[in-house]
Amino acid sequence: MFEFFFKYPRAVYERGHFALLGAWPHWVLAVMIVGAGAVLAWMIRSRLNEAAPVMRSWRAWVIWGMQTLLAALVLVLLWQPAITVAELRRQQNIIAVLVDDSRSMAIADEGGTRQAQAVKTLENGVLDSINKSFQTHLYRIDSGAARIGSLKELQAGAPSTRLGDSLKQLSEETSDLPIGAIVLCTDGADNSGGIDAEVISALRARHIPVHTVGFGREHAEHDVELDDAVIAPRTLADSRLAAKVTLHQYGYSGTAINIAVRDVSSGQPKVLATRTINLGANGNIQTETLMFNIGGAGAKTLQISAGPLAGEQNTANNTLTRVVNAGSDARRILYVEGEPRWEYKFIREAEEDDRMVQIVSMDRTSPNKIYRQGIADPKELADGFPSRPEDLFAYQGLILGSVEAAYFTPGQQQLIRDFVDRRGGGLLLLGGQYALADGGWNASAIVDVLPTILPTQPGTFHREADPRNGTTHATAELETAGVDSTITRLVDDPKANSARWKTLPYLMDYEDPGTPKPGASVLADMITPEGRKLHLLITQNFGRGRSAIMATGGSWRWQMSSPLGDTAHHLFWQQLLRWVVSDTPGHVVASVPAQVLLDNGAVNLAAEVRDQQYNPAPDAKVEAHILGPSGVSALVEMTPVPDNPGHFQAVWSAAKTGAYLTEVTAQRADPSTGTVKELGRDVLTFQRMDGVAENFHTEQNRELLERLATATGGQYWKPSELGKLVSRIPYSEAGVTMRETRDLWNLPIVFVVLFFLRFSEWWLRRKWGIV
Amino acid sequence: MKLVRPLFILTILLSLAAGLFAFQFGGFRRQQYYYGGANVPSEFYWSRLQYTSSYANGGFRGYSQSWARDFPKADNDCLIVLRRLTRINSPSPLNVVDLNSDHIFDYPWIYAVDVNTWTFTDEEAKRLHDYLYKGGFLMVDDFHGTDDWEHFMAGMRQVIPDRPVEDLQDADEIYHVFYNIDEKFQIPSEVYVNTGRTYEKDGYVPKWRAIRNEHGRIMVAICANMHLGDAWEWADSPEYPEKFSGLAFRIVLNYITYAMTH
Repeated sequence: MFEFFFKYPRAVYERGHFALLGAWPHWVLAVMIVGAGAVLAWMIRSRLNEAAPVMRSWRAWVIWGMQTLLAALVLVLLWQPAITVAELRRQQNIIAVLVDDSRSMAIADEGGTRQAQAVKTLENGVLDSINKSFQTHLYRIDSGAARIGSLKELQAGAPSTRLGDSLKQLSEETSDLPIGAIVLCTDGADNSGGIDAEVISALRARHIPVHTVGFGREHAEHDVELDDAVIAPRTLADSRLAAKVTLHQYGYSGTAINIAVRDVSSGQPKVLATRTINLGANGNIQTETLMFNIGGAGAKTLQISAGPLAGEQNTANNTLTRVVNAGSDARRILYVEGEPRWEYKFIREAEEDDRMVQIVSMDRTSPNKIYRQGIADPKELADGFPSRPEDLFAYQGLILGSVEAAYFTPGQQQLIRDFVDRRGGGLLLLGGQYALADGGWNASAIVDVLPTILPTQPGTFHREADPRNGTTHATAELETAGVDSTITRLVDDPKANSARWKTLPYLMDYEDPGTPKPGASVLADMITPEGRKLHLLITQNFGRGRSAIMATGGSWRWQMSSPLGDTAHHLFWQQLLRWVVSDTPGHVVASVPAQVLLDNGAVNLAAEVRDQQYNPAPDAKVEAHILGPSGVSALVEMTPVPDNPGHFQAVWSAAKTGAYLTEVTAQRADPSTGTVKELGRDVLTFQRMDGVAENFHTEQNRELLERLATATGGQYWKPSELGKLVSRIPYSEAGVTMRETRDLWNLPIVFVVLFFLRFSEWWLRRKWGIV
Repeated sequence: MKLVRPLFILTILLSLAAGLFAFQFGGFRRQQYYYGGANVPSEFYWSRLQYTSSYANGGFRGYSQSWARDFPKADNDCLIVLRRLTRINSPSPLNVVDLNSDHIFDYPWIYAVDVNTWTFTDEEAKRLHDYLYKGGFLMVDDFHGTDDWEHFMAGMRQVIPDRPVEDLQDADEIYHVFYNIDEKFQIPSEVYVNTGRTYEKDGYVPKWRAIRNEHGRIMVAICANMHLGDAWEWADSPEYPEKFSGLAFRIVLNYITYAMTH
């Protein structure tokens, strides 16, 4: 129908450029159109008094409009309108036809497998039609692209689909060939997380349109699929971790399903956490959090699973695997307290049960006495708070209790700032009579580090007026961000957790911590005896580290006034102090982009190396020693990353499936003595798994295919519409093209409009009774 | 018989006058006490345990009973020293904690004397047990000899049946947390001033003892066969030797500091 009225295919208008071929300038056309309109207006206006009464109104101007349009159209036709469009030269271009050969194409959806449908569609005239005008190159794609001679070579058995990598490879390998267009037949079930901008840019640079043809159902009828499971890749032994599991489903809305986290590192899987949830609406992404204890030190392989449910079409997408490295080195926190107080005692007591976190403390018991606890040797802290970076940076965390800012020299205050910013340590400030604003910290060198803007005036600290009088209590409650936080999670169920916090005994004192800074997270609040809501626990990341304020020194009542055996106080403080130190880096931090490699062994190792004072060490010698399955052992030298001092990288290939342990070491020669000294080392784990990726995202990813087509100037097609593809392909600017100019004056639609305008005017005059 | 009424009234008046004189110019004269009055919010409250004595029929536990011996002057002197020599925030008046009340959990430090007379109901024993295991600290003082020990332990076993009582060593942290106390000796009551004896009954040897929890934290510090309370109370008496008061003050400051750090 479109071509009946417009003479040329729709693609000509989409890709072509409008032009006027008439010799006279375009401005003459504009002047003449305006002039025609003006003359018509003058003529109508001058005869309006003689016209029938019915026409002496808006009707006259409707007639004027129609006549002006008619005149304008005729004038435009006199200027010879045309369209210019680039068109592929016949028999001189290649059309690359790519067919997905991964295992997901073997899924039978409607009358045969997806690949069988693709082959049938192509063989049913599409390929023949293309071959009449162009050469056709057939490719099979999975993790890459490979040319095939015939569609019979397809097997639908490849373990993964990487559309981006395949298109990139095709673009590179055909850089000297006149590729006019790409026809991509796939379900879009990509396992690499999408198509990156680099691939799109390469295709656009060559103006190659990608026409995508989608096969397969856009969603299953009965299926539950885990989309992701986010777990911290490294932690301390015996840490409580959160697994944020996202899933979606079709056909089971409202059904209860069991989700679980299992440790499958050893021969006997161990259930770490389990929870029953109700599934949400069809297709909705649902996020659930499971809390669990990671257990002892070592590399842990965790399986996160859901269901399965009765009648599920695909149960292989119900399980995800994640790798967690639980460190065995205990973390040390320096706790500086300006006065003996109960909070200090009870925080220390809470940490007694946590063998991975040690508190080294100094408590000013009198104006001239400091009592030290947890020290490794008698010299530790013998001179008071450290004044040298190497002494303070030996700790992973720092707690400042009820101690004035003035107790520290300006140099020590700057050192505290560097401890967070440069060293990457965790800083926790507590409330107290000499703390926060009352301790002068609002005018100290660490104001930038703090998660709040402290009040400008002192007098912000308040004690319980009389513990025996029950009218002056300050209580705690969770903020939204605290409901799911690993710091404030006292019970696993979020709602029960919020309720649990409201049952905690009242706080013995409280302090106004001020206003949270942008980017800070408020996890808990306090309700003061006067009914004011003040923030209790605020956290933020700063530089390489993190800081927090716990604006009370009276949480010890959560221990003393709860029933014997209640774990709330100890659990909270253990979790908070683990947060303070868990992510504090060492001198060497090794990482990989993904710890589970699906059907692809390429590993990009990265390492950040710092010297003794935690300044970047660009001159270090960095090596990665990799141990893998079946005796795999490799020593890889890592090279500096340009323009990023202290950062090193290496590319390595994990050829075999299984778990890999990598130890990255950094050394540097001492400039004064010439001796080589180790700066530090770090251990990371990753795992290669083959044949898993294709179990996920098995539905047709139409959104991805539409985006790819739109970004490259192509079009998304359903298999049933593929017959029209042949007429669309020639209009491309890729390959060998010629630019054609096509007249528009003789379009049937033009004559239809001319007739319509004249007929409409006559019809209106007749209707108004003046003909 | 006509003189009976005037003599009776005269006797009453003389008694009141003598009482008033004793109150104004007696042993406690010109002493300011941090006792009674409005509460002042504090980090540390000097808290004395109020309990029922075994000889108090019907559960009478008034201020004339054993738990209140030397109160308030002993406690008052201690509080003065605490404020003078430490950074512990303790502006509140003296505090009395009744074992009948859950408010005992608001005060993680308590001091008890004459504990050979204490008795507990099951509810009180459980409350004290929970208090100690949740982090509370109890210092007991002023009981002497074998019989007193047995009576003290009868009550203690009702509270903590299964933890051993141990002798504290000089090297123990509690004697080095604030002062380094390397030498300890028997601290007598004010009876020493008239008799020269440092012991009472058959308590010839001072017993510095403790009961710890499973982590080794001292929950109960026991000062048996001595009387630190008198040493604080008579610290300003020229007849009572300074060396006893000095050690008693150092001991209690160490015990309080230990309680607030362990």
